[in-house]
Amino acid sequence: MTGLSFLFANPLMLTALVALPAIWWLLRLTPPKPVTEVFPPLRILASVLKREETPSKSPWWLTLLRMLMAAAIILAIADPVFNPRNNTLSADGPLVLLIDNSWVTATDWEHRVETADALIGDAESRNLPVSMAFTADREHNAVPASAVTARNRLAAASPQPLQPDRKTAVEAITTALDGTKPGTLAFLSDGIAAADDPTMAALAALSPASLRLIEGDGDRALAITNSANEADAMAVTASRLETDTARTVPVTAYDTRGRAIANGAIAFAAGEGTAKGTIAAPFELRNDFARIGIDGAATAGGTFLLDDGFRRRRVALLSGEARDLSQPLLSPLYYINRALAPYADLIQPDQADLAVAIPELLAQKPSVLIMADIGRLPEQSYAPITQWIENGGTLIRFAGPRLAAAPADDPLVPVTLRQGERSLGGALSWSEPQPLADYPALSPFAGMARPQDILIKRQVLAEPTADLAERTWASLADGTPLVTTKTTGAGRIVLFHVSAEATWSNLPISGDFVEMLRRSVQLSRGGGVASDGKAQAETLAPYRLLNADGVLISETGKARPLNVAAGATPVSTVENPPGLYGSEDGFTALNLLPRNAELKPIGKAGLETAYTSEPLIGAEALSLKPALFTLAMVLLLIDSLVVLFMGGAFARLRMATAATTILTLAAAGLLFNASPSLAQDAKPGDDKILERLDKTHLAYVVTGEAEVDRLSERGLAGLTDFLTYRTTLEPGAPVGLDITSDELAFYPIIYWPVSASAPMPSAQAVSRIDAYMRAGGTVLFDTRDQFSSLGSSGGNSPNGERLQAILANLDIPPLEPVPTDNVLTKSFYLLSNFPGRYNGSPLWIEAQPENGEEESGRPARSGDGVSPIMITGNDFAGAWAIDANGVALLPTVPPDETQREHAFRAGVNIMMYMLTGNYKADQVHIPALLERLGQ
Amino acid sequence: MAAIGQSVEPTPSGDVLHRAQQRAMLIPDCMVEAKRIANTVISGWHGRRKRGIGENFWQFRPYSDGESLSRIDWRRSARDDHTYVRDREWEAAHTIWLWADLSPSMMYKSRFGIVSKESRALVLMLALAEILARSGERIGCPGVMEPVSARNAAERLATALMHTPLSGGLPETQMIRGSSDLILIGDFLDPAETIMARLGPLARRGLRGHIVEIADPAEESFPYAGRTEFTDPETGEKLTAGRAEIVRDDYRRAYIARRDSLGESLRHLGWTFTPHRTDHLASEALVAVHMYLSGMPARATHGGQL
Repeated sequence: MTGLSFLFANPLMLTALVALPAIWWLLRLTPPKPVTEVFPPLRILASVLKREETPSKSPWWLTLLRMLMAAAIILAIADPVFNPRNNTLSADGPLVLLIDNSWVTATDWEHRVETADALIGDAESRNLPVSMAFTADREHNAVPASAVTARNRLAAASPQPLQPDRKTAVEAITTALDGTKPGTLAFLSDGIAAADDPTMAALAALSPASLRLIEGDGDRALAITNSANEADAMAVTASRLETDTARTVPVTAYDTRGRAIANGAIAFAAGEGTAKGTIAAPFELRNDFARIGIDGAATAGGTFLLDDGFRRRRVALLSGEARDLSQPLLSPLYYINRALAPYADLIQPDQADLAVAIPELLAQKPSVLIMADIGRLPEQSYAPITQWIENGGTLIRFAGPRLAAAPADDPLVPVTLRQGERSLGGALSWSEPQPLADYPALSPFAGMARPQDILIKRQVLAEPTADLAERTWASLADGTPLVTTKTTGAGRIVLFHVSAEATWSNLPISGDFVEMLRRSVQLSRGGGVASDGKAQAETLAPYRLLNADGVLISETGKARPLNVAAGATPVSTVENPPGLYGSEDGFTALNLLPRNAELKPIGKAGLETAYTSEPLIGAEALSLKPALFTLAMVLLLIDSLVVLFMGGAFARLRMATAATTILTLAAAGLLFNASPSLAQDAKPGDDKILERLDKTHLAYVVTGEAEVDRLSERGLAGLTDFLTYRTTLEPGAPVGLDITSDELAFYPIIYWPVSASAPMPSAQAVSRIDAYMRAGGTVLFDTRDQFSSLGSSGGNSPNGERLQAILANLDIPPLEPVPTDNVLTKSFYLLSNFPGRYNGSPLWIEAQPENGEEESGRPARSGDGVSPIMITGNDFAGAWAIDANGVALLPTVPPDETQREHAFRAGVNIMMYMLTGNYKADQVHIPALLERLGQ
Repeated sequence: MAAIGQSVEPTPSGDVLHRAQQRAMLIPDCMVEAKRIANTVISGWHGRRKRGIGENFWQFRPYSDGESLSRIDWRRSARDDHTYVRDREWEAAHTIWLWADLSPSMMYKSRFGIVSKESRALVLMLALAEILARSGERIGCPGVMEPVSARNAAERLATALMHTPLSGGLPETQMIRGSSDLILIGDFLDPAETIMARLGPLARRGLRGHIVEIADPAEESFPYAGRTEFTDPETGEKLTAGRAEIVRDDYRRAYIARRDSLGESLRHLGWTFTPHRTDHLASEALVAVHMYLSGMPARATHGGQL
């Protein structure tokens, strides 16, 4: 260990240097090979070409370069090493090794193993037994054994994400030695003092012939000891062992999936052992922090785990509206989404069928469920939602046309609602749109300034009750409640009496909307509410544990469940290593070091026994092999460039067109992606679906009555023929649907002939129809009873009653007969009525919102979307039905072929309305537009 | 990197039979193409545009004393007080000697050209024979075929070429008599002085000459780079350029200068000069030569590029 020594590991390889002159000679004789070209006008070329430009031999500097390369490779293989170590072990007694395998050692564990291995090797060469103990292991076994056994144990040992237990380890050594004086006692220390730690003194008490303290670099001992979420940044406290120089360490925050999402730095001043730094990040990003780590110090101590305290609420969203992605600004969920996305985890159902979607959402244990404009839920969904609210869930509802039309007995509204909505302002109203009043003091919104610019144009009204005032969170200036609430069990229902999109008020596009929603969501329970409401256990099972490299792993090994007693802070031990305890839904973080711990160097003061202190072995034995190989590689690259340059490759490259390059790249790309193997994801029935998808098909509901179904099929066939002749739409053959099992999503419209004598559709089938309508489809109900009920439009016929029974379970909007300015009357033919076999029954569609600002002179009112439901009694299919020869099957009533033609035209208009939506409403403005353009 | 240019159909010395077979295989192909091109050209051709002996009407001119009375066109003269003579367009047959240089340097084709220079030269020769035979000219090929005036002169020339292959260098011209036209097709890569020394006496004998210089695009643009060894296909001489791209500009200057001086000298003799590159269509050269033959310069050629 004295001075700077230098030797070759393989000195024999140096003899290869003799070959260098031969290499020199070989290199000198190899000129680059020219490209041979036939060239007829050689004489002209000869007149301009200067004699002999390229030397036939390589230039001397190129040869020298290559010689250097060869020499570097030979030297690298000979493996020169600085500072080799030599054997200085005392032969007086057994070698005793006390090895720290605590968290700090994870970064330089290999060097520590090398050092220990070298010592064991020394002991082996002197035939000394080895007694070895690890401080952070579960059991401390220090029985002296042969060098081979010690080496095996050393290879099996690994750094632990724990603090060392040196006291027990020293006791184990003392017991194992049983009075024998050790020859050399080496302590491979991590350099950090444990609490009141007399290790060195205890070791000295064993009176070894020589005592060595071997330490690694002090700057590796670096730990995050605390973190706190402050107003604008995350404050992180760190401690270090070596305090001499100023140092700045970068820290990174990771989310639950281990992605780095924010960075910061901690600056240690010279002489300071602890320092505070910040990770600046927006509030919503800080919510996602799950772990903070020091870059470049991947140890359990350099990692700080964060737990549920930061967790955000999970919010489930449901809407009665067909989710129309092309018109997001009309969807109520859009505003809720935008308002809550920074503050909450939002989940939405995959399916439109509420009977399936609601249990699915509740299974994800949301804290809050938001329902925007849902009037009626499937019957079987009420029970789980009620149960979930009882268990502590928060239900936030928004009004809308559907809720306004819903019956008054809804159990999931906080107040009794009057049916219909109240409209403020407009042509037929004396009242003005209302602003908001000050928020009541008991409301969670209290403290927010009264918004000046919010105007409510339409709302649903609560029936006045005695306690209405105290259940009101916000009200209009005239005192009508705007936000009402009710506690149910441990949970709560909140109702906003306006819709969540901007048609009823401008509240959703104001900043108050965000703040109101945020406060409402904050009121909910944090950890997620299961609909079966289980209590949390006192003992937390290990969920994810930190390994020595500061990474969370799911392997829990021998870790015991963590006892969380009130008031006591759990401490990491061998039994409870640091990590996350609990389950996915809620966990507690257990960090390696106690909060605000400080790292102190190991106590050596006041030690009488002389000891030597030395660094780890790998730290100073320096091999030149990598450097020499790198040098050779760099020289090789330079040489390649020179050869390419001399051969004219770059000049050719410049000439080659870009197309050639692109083609080459493309060819290479093809070569690598020649045959992408795709997963076999075909499912049974795919061919049938593809058949349905290639063309538009008209579809009807199979009622189960043969005659009705035959007429439906023939009727739609007749309409299909008519459409094919008269329009560019050429539908495929009509499809009969079993609504309990068939996929409905492929058809723009489903014709449903209501028949009282047919079996009543099951609740599941009606729920599927509900989902179909919600997802943008339209159902045309035909009661075919215009004259059978003797002209009464009250729906007293058996078919009408059956229709009411079916509709009772559907979430349907308010209806109206087709107004004369509706786009249905103009989508292909200009129609005034919609006759079928019978004439006189109106065609009912979803009522279009009255828009006061619209001009009355327009030929068609533009609505948004397409009516999801149509109801008639005119027996369309009967009028359309034709046999195979194209002859009508049934006579019209009265027998008038003009009426049949009009029935077909009605069918065409309905189809065009289905497929083009309100596009036609825009088209009928074209004369007006052209007129304006002409001016 | 593959070589840019190559020698196509290397000519083995002494193997006459083999060469004849190869030529026989090539010539029918060229015949077909020659006919196609000739058809495209003939539609735009309008005779000699001179008064002379022929069948087609050219003009009426007033009768002048001393002319034979039998030449008066009485039908026209009856319309007014003057007497008129009907002139016809000159359609006298002419002897045209065609010749193509088929030396080894013509067996060259680079990847920028469509065909080899030799192939293009044969195509042009047979196509000209076809066109000229259609207009009734006498076609000959020095040393290969005596002048004939026949509708199938192109076929006969091809047959004659099959039996008597053309040799390299400039042709023997002792058999050419009178004021004939001579069409020479070749690459004319010899020094301009050498060529002029050979052509000068011909011009002094009263021959009208038309030179078509066939060049490969690679010879003109010199697209070589890097260390390159050039071989002359005629002499086998080798020349190595260390970095070919640096002599490109010099070479092109020399090449263009040679062509300019050759074109200039030929113009002094009153001959025409048509440079042609094998990456262009054969009909371009054909049209140009045809226009010259019809006594109407197609366009000013300054010996430069097409």
